[in-house]
This record gives sequence, structure tokens and C-alpha cells, in this order.
Amino acid sequence: MGKILMKGNEAIARAAMLGGLEAFFGYPITPQNEVPEYLSRYLLEEGKVFVQAESEVAAINMVYGAAAAGFRTMTSSSSPGIALKQEGITYLCGSELPCVISSVMRGGPGLGSIQPSQSDYNQATRGGGNGDYHVIVFGPETIQETIDILKEAFDIADYYRNPVMVLVDGLIGQMMESVDLTKPVKKRFLPEKDYAANGTKNHPGERHIINSLYLESNELEHHNLSLKKKYDLATANETRVELINMNDPDYVIVAFGTMARVCRSAIEKLAEKNIRVGMIRPISLWPFPSSVFETMDAPHLKGILCVEMNLGMMLTDVLVANNGRHSVGFFGRAGGVVPDPDEVVDAILHFNERVVK
Amino acid sequence: MKRITFITGFFGSGKTEIALNLAIQKQVDVLIDLDIVNPYFRSREQEDVLNRAGIRVVSSGVANGRFVDLPYVAKEAFIPFWDRTLRAVYDLGGSGSGARLLRQFSPYFPDSDVDLLFCVNIHREETDSPAKIIQEIGRIEESGGMRPTGLINNTNLLTESTYEDLLEGEGLLRPVADATGIPLIYTGIVSSLDRDDRPVAGEKIPLRLYFKNTWL
Repeated sequence: MGKILMKGNEAIARAAMLGGLEAFFGYPITPQNEVPEYLSRYLLEEGKVFVQAESEVAAINMVYGAAAAGFRTMTSSSSPGIALKQEGITYLCGSELPCVISSVMRGGPGLGSIQPSQSDYNQATRGGGNGDYHVIVFGPETIQETIDILKEAFDIADYYRNPVMVLVDGLIGQMMESVDLTKPVKKRFLPEKDYAANGTKNHPGERHIINSLYLESNELEHHNLSLKKKYDLATANETRVELINMNDPDYVIVAFGTMARVCRSAIEKLAEKNIRVGMIRPISLWPFPSSVFETMDAPHLKGILCVEMNLGMMLTDVLVANNGRHSVGFFGRAGGVVPDPDEVVDAILHFNERVVK
Repeated sequence: MKRITFITGFFGSGKTEIALNLAIQKQVDVLIDLDIVNPYFRSREQEDVLNRAGIRVVSSGVANGRFVDLPYVAKEAFIPFWDRTLRAVYDLGGSGSGARLLRQFSPYFPDSDVDLLFCVNIHREETDSPAKIIQEIGRIEESGGMRPTGLINNTNLLTESTYEDLLEGEGLLRPVADATGIPLIYTGIVSSLDRDDRPVAGEKIPLRLYFKNTWL
């Protein structure tokens, strides 16, 4: 099959279907409405489940139910909607249930705006749910990369029995690109879902209980430590990063998603001024690719500039990963403003004014 | 070109870029953005460009309207039907849901000079065969209450577009034109691909892509 032209949100929906999506539960919100709209048309055609729930909270709990029954399930929303799903997400993590969540960020806090933003970086990577848990989060840069990650996301979720979030901003959701849906993705061995609560009275199987309640402290700690082991494994195996132009750079930019697209143009413009700028582009936002900061070979590096469409969220991860080795600066625009490449160029040219630590 | 031209099509077929280029090249007086489906990439965002070209823009009529997500269109959208001296391009939202807005203007159609042009990119999965294109035309007609009067070939893969893509689009639109009796009136061609020795069906609209930033 050749290339076709797709809108980011349509691509999320189609790629999820290619990844084996069996049941979708969602509630409308701009700028991700094309995801459920597309699935309402095509998922039902394939005889699978599509439900427009009565709310975001209901949708994520329907996902919990479908995942508990052993199905490949997904929900999709945008900033305030993802905020509502936080309780469900921690329950999914606590009960070790796999699912995929697509989050198409808009401006915040509160209702914010419907313009693109990256101000849910903390919401995605830290989460607003309770307890010691992590969601595996990817922040793709192009629609093609969004497709490739989503096609793999259900496998990753099943492998770790944990929610996987694909985090893009409204711009990637709304823009169009030519894409190839047939690009192969990594295959992995997946065990049978022997935990699934899929037996019924008339179809007796083993009795399974899906649960996140452990009243006995030692028992819960044991559960916490086993989750930790899983998160350590994910950190070792699922960390993804793209290194761009990292041959003896003067400066290094750290940016993800739409911001990385803008920074690519800025890097070209800076090369014309004989300033060599590399880029660390985290693809997995949790686990964050900290180790590349340790192994970075940049003897002439003057500083690291973290660039985001928020007021400094990934910056915390960059500061920790940098561990005081280099000077770190920040440039960001908020509220739904997408910075121009020239603004990034200017931030590099005046790096000293941008230094945070 | 008729005095009033509505642009419709499957969503993501490139209606807005066609509407902007057509409005500017044909020097119309007003561009009316009827897109209440999309939150981004609407023609109202190019108000400055259009104003510089001497074209007035009508959209939601709400202050800061270019950033709102409201299913509301200003009453000003009717002015070209009342003032017969004005030439206008109407940019409808995508597909049947976008075309529904056409119905409110239908009482004026009998005594106005109106075209409804259906824009097609065959690289969109919902319009990649003559049968699907004809089905989509049917949906637009059913929801908008007017049968399209012309076809626009806007086949492209954005930055990866070739002249051959346009010819492939033409190949699928010919049988559509034969089956429906709706003629292929325009072909949109990205300016960088446009050459004298590259003929296309219907009138050529060289396209400047107003929404394509260097990094987008």
C-alpha cells in the first residue's frame, strides 16, 4: 500500500485498530474529536466495541472493565478530560491492567484553550492518581511516528500489564501528513492473559479477581515492590530517544513532539550562523532517556537548552539527568502559542539570559 | 466563476487551501468561513493575508472568533445573497456535517448565481475510488440540500506531492464526472510543481500553501 494523507487524530484511531484495538470508550473533547468519530465509524464496521460514555470518568472505568476481561482497549481525551481519568489510571496500574490512552494536549490550566500545548507533560509522566505507579508515556514528533508507536502500544501495554499513553499536542492531532500505515513494528512474545476475569456461570473457567486493594501493609508493600520491578524493566527496555546532530555541538536542545519539529528548523538556521546545535529528542517521556545525558560526548558544549510549549516541566527531568554537568537553560511558550523557529534561534543566541541552573 | 462559490468536500481534502487561493486569485470581495467542524487550520486564521488582498473575512462574529470552537456563524454570512454586487467564496466544513450549513442559504439559491464545488484528494482513504467519491457526493447532497455543480481535483501528499499524483486523481475523477454528470472544473497544483508543460483537466489553480510552515 502506498502513502495516504491522514490527519493526526484519524491516524491515532486507524493505528490503534491496526494494533488490535477491540473496545474503545471515550467522551468528546476538542482537539481530539476525530479519534472517537473515526472509530465510531470503522470499529463498529469490524464488529468491535465503540461506546461514547456518559463522561470521561465512565470511559476510563469501562476501559478498566474491558481490560479486566482481557480485551485490547483504549480511551482518548484531551487535557481536562485526561485530568478526570486520573483515578481510573491509578486503579488500572494498581490492578496491573493493560490499556492505551491517547492524550491530545491543549492549553491549561482549567478549561484553558483549545490551542496546542505541552503543558500536560507532568500530568502524563507524574500522573494525578494516588500511589506508587507509572504510566509508560511516548511523545511522538510526526504522524508517522504516532502511528508506529500506537501500533506497538497494545503489545507494550500487554507485556507490562500497564497503561501506555501516547501524548501529542493538538497540532499533531489536527495537522495532516502523508503516512505509510504498513510500516512494520517490533513484535514481542506475549503470554496468555491468564489473569483475565472472563469466565461466566455458563462458561466456567478459573476464578480470577482483579483487584488493587491490599489491606495488609506487608502484602501491599510486596505488591509495590513487584510493580517497581516491572517499572525498572520498562526503564531498561522501553526508553527511546533520537539524537540529532550530536557531533561535537556548541549547544544541545532538548525538545519533544511539535516543539522538536520547530527546533529542527531552528537548528538549520543556527548552522547557517556556524553555531553547531544538537538535539536530544525524548520519544519516551516516561521512562525519560536520562542515560544519554551521562554518555553525551560534547567537549565544547556551552549549554543545554530545554525547549517546551509550557513554562518548564520536562526541565525538571533535564536538570536531574544533567546532574550539574552542564549549564541548563529554558525557553518555552505557553497558553497554546507555538513558538517560531526564530524565537528558538534567539534563545540559543542569548543562552546566558536563559540559564536556569 | 460564478458570483457565489461554495467549496465542499470530504474533510481533509484541502478545501480551505483551495478556498483561500481561489478567493485571492479571483479577487472576490468576501470569504465566508463556514467551518464549524475543525478547531484549527480554518480560513479565518488567514484573515490578515486576506485583508491585505482586499478580501473581507466573515466567520463566527464572536470577538477572538478565530480561537473559539462554536457551532455559530455570523448573520453577515448572508450579505452576498442580499447585495448582488458582491462576489464571494464560502468555505464549508468537511463532509456531510460541514455541508449541512448550506441548507440555511438554499431559499436564496433560485435567484442567485451559485456554484457548489466538490474538492477531492484521492489520497484520503474515504475518497480513494470512484465509488467512494460518488458516495461522498451523495452524502454532501443529502445533508447540504444541493447537488455539487463542479469537481476540483486537489490530489496531493503535501510535501511529497508529484504531478503524477494529480494525473492519478484525474484518472479517478473522469469516471466520476461521467457517472454523475458533474464536470471537473479546477485542478489545484502546488506552485512548485506547476509548469507550462504540465497540463491538467479544467482550469489550473496554482496553490500557495498558506498553512504550511517550514517546520510543519
